[in-house]
Amino acid sequence: MLVSPYLVHFFLFVAFPVAFSIVLTSHKWNIISPMEYTGLNNYIRLFNDKTFFKSIGNTLIFLVIHIPLQIIVALFLAEILNQKIKLRGAFRGAFFLPVIVSGVVVTILWQQLYGYDTGLLNRLLTGIGIAKVGWLTDPNIAMSSIALMATWKNVGLYIILFLVGLQTVPTQYYEAADLEGATHMQKFFKITLPMINPTIFMVVILSTIGGFSLFIEPYIMTGGGPLNSTVSAVLYIYKQGFFYYHMGYAATLGLFFAFIILAVVVIQKKFIEKDH
Amino acid sequence: MKNLLNMIIIVLLTYLLNSCSSSNKDSRDEILYWCSNNNDEIKFAKLSTDEWNKNNPNDQVKYQAVPEGRSSEEIILAAVVGNTTPDIYSNMWQGDVEAYAQAGVLVALDSLNGFLDFLYERCDSSVVEEIKSLDGHIYQIPWKINPIMLIYNINLINELELNGPPKTYSEVFNASQKFQKDFDNDGYVDRWFGYSEVEVTWWQRFFDFYPLYLAASGGAPLVKNNRAAFNNKYAIEVFSFLQEMYNKNYFSKEKLSARQDVFLAGVTATRFVGPWEIAHAEKFKPKGFEYEYNFMPVPDDHIGPVYTYGDPKNIVIFKTCKDPQAAWNYVKTMISDEGDLKLLSLTNQLPRRKKLNTNPFFSDYFLKNPKMKIFADQSEYVKGTDASPVLKEIFDLISQQYEACVVYGMKTPEQAINDAADAVNLLFLE
Repeated sequence: MLVSPYLVHFFLFVAFPVAFSIVLTSHKWNIISPMEYTGLNNYIRLFNDKTFFKSIGNTLIFLVIHIPLQIIVALFLAEILNQKIKLRGAFRGAFFLPVIVSGVVVTILWQQLYGYDTGLLNRLLTGIGIAKVGWLTDPNIAMSSIALMATWKNVGLYIILFLVGLQTVPTQYYEAADLEGATHMQKFFKITLPMINPTIFMVVILSTIGGFSLFIEPYIMTGGGPLNSTVSAVLYIYKQGFFYYHMGYAATLGLFFAFIILAVVVIQKKFIEKDH
Repeated sequence: MKNLLNMIIIVLLTYLLNSCSSSNKDSRDEILYWCSNNNDEIKFAKLSTDEWNKNNPNDQVKYQAVPEGRSSEEIILAAVVGNTTPDIYSNMWQGDVEAYAQAGVLVALDSLNGFLDFLYERCDSSVVEEIKSLDGHIYQIPWKINPIMLIYNINLINELELNGPPKTYSEVFNASQKFQKDFDNDGYVDRWFGYSEVEVTWWQRFFDFYPLYLAASGGAPLVKNNRAAFNNKYAIEVFSFLQEMYNKNYFSKEKLSARQDVFLAGVTATRFVGPWEIAHAEKFKPKGFEYEYNFMPVPDDHIGPVYTYGDPKNIVIFKTCKDPQAAWNYVKTMISDEGDLKLLSLTNQLPRRKKLNTNPFFSDYFLKNPKMKIFADQSEYVKGTDASPVLKEIFDLISQQYEACVVYGMKTPEQAINDAADAVNLLFLE
């Protein structure tokens, strides 16, 4: 009886949608017409869909750029903000500010900064004699631009996590290292990094989950272009479902993508367990 | 206890499902009409229903703006799914009708008394053919159009010392070359002849490729008999034309729409837009700014009238309507001569009817609104969309090839059009 509210919620909003989407994978359905059984057609289509695999590739490219960049920048800033510097509180607040600003607002703002002819970044570049960059119009650069923006947006959150991690490192270790004459770099690589390993893993997992759900940024900034170079897997699934109402196919893509995420999470979990 | 809990859950679920599925029609006898949610069309709906209700106490019509949402298309879809559709909806994009017709949620209007006579009196037979569904029935009545034309800045075009606005592709190239400027000599263009969104979103092609294709081809269809019909010289010419415009930087590849209005700011000399731009320009144009409209540019060897895309919005009656004949009787008054004049005066949108530009009933309006007369003249040569339930996918496939060929020059126009046609033909096979 006591767990019944949870059970009702679970069946209505978790179990039923999941079961329904699995059923959908073997049907053709555009919402307004009756469902039509199509067997394995959606799966066959998936394995022949180059754009979908490109979207997964794009998502992985995003992760490969975004995660290391996020960790390096956040850790570097956290290390500085962990020192006794002037206005430390103000800086911590300032770096956290983008996290609480709406993703849509940030995206529109960066879209302006990235403008080819009129954007501030290119104005600065041309001001110092460097050629303009097609931040969002060059297919080879667009995804990196999005990863850079996402890093700026989220770095504040990871700074906080790293700060927490850094403050749990016992100061005696550093004192002992000082007595041995260790350099700052040696202390960082031999003491700090190993001690905050769990935090790094947590940041990797959170960034991976966030990265896999990449949607707002390409949806608003590029619409998936140029030449599908910024179509993320979620954006592609969304387009199939809610632009073209290929509900059966979108469910198939979603299920497949869920298995990919599951595989990545399992691999990451294995690494974490091994480390522990 | 367990049984009681099960019963409560079942009762709750049944109640929920019933609330979702049952429409509120049982609780009303009046006809519900959903209009667009822009202020001018709400005014039109109010006037139109007030007048009808005064004279028809037994068939009262209640108007309501389509509920707020990201787009009216999504709201209508949600209403269809929830079985909460209105009786009449007046802002249905023509391209959506086929899918709804195939889903069986629309009334076949040709089964109603007097419909066909009225339709043939209102529209040319070519329009009737255009709106006919694949099953041979007619599920929509043409209501209004907003033709896409070339708007140009008179002062800037005059500066180029041309004989008026460019009409053909080579005239556009010539004007573009003269207009393009790098004011600060930094090696980058600061003003472009025109601008069109480079986004791949399917409907963006309504403002570049599609009207240009209709203009070049004399209104040819994109698909016919479930096959791509656009793999022809006209589509290739349009891709070649636009490819050169982007290649030579006469059109900007950058997204300019997020900043100030580039046309009113004089950053571009032209754009492809509809009559809605008139109200916008009149409100925001700087002092001394003058503009005019012209036909879409065509290939140099083009002969005959210049067609364009009309962006048609039509009226449909949903099957949830208890009395479609009464609903049709109301719609007839809504699109009568008086109704259409009201639509024109209140919304500055053109009714889709034959001889609009020469009908004396509307001449006063066009005398007072000379810019709208240009659109009325164009309205004789507009096309909507082909009847196909996969129209959005077709435009999406064209749009992807458009991006690869026109914007990035990675394919020849011939290759791109062939690839798009092959993909569309595959789509029909699925």
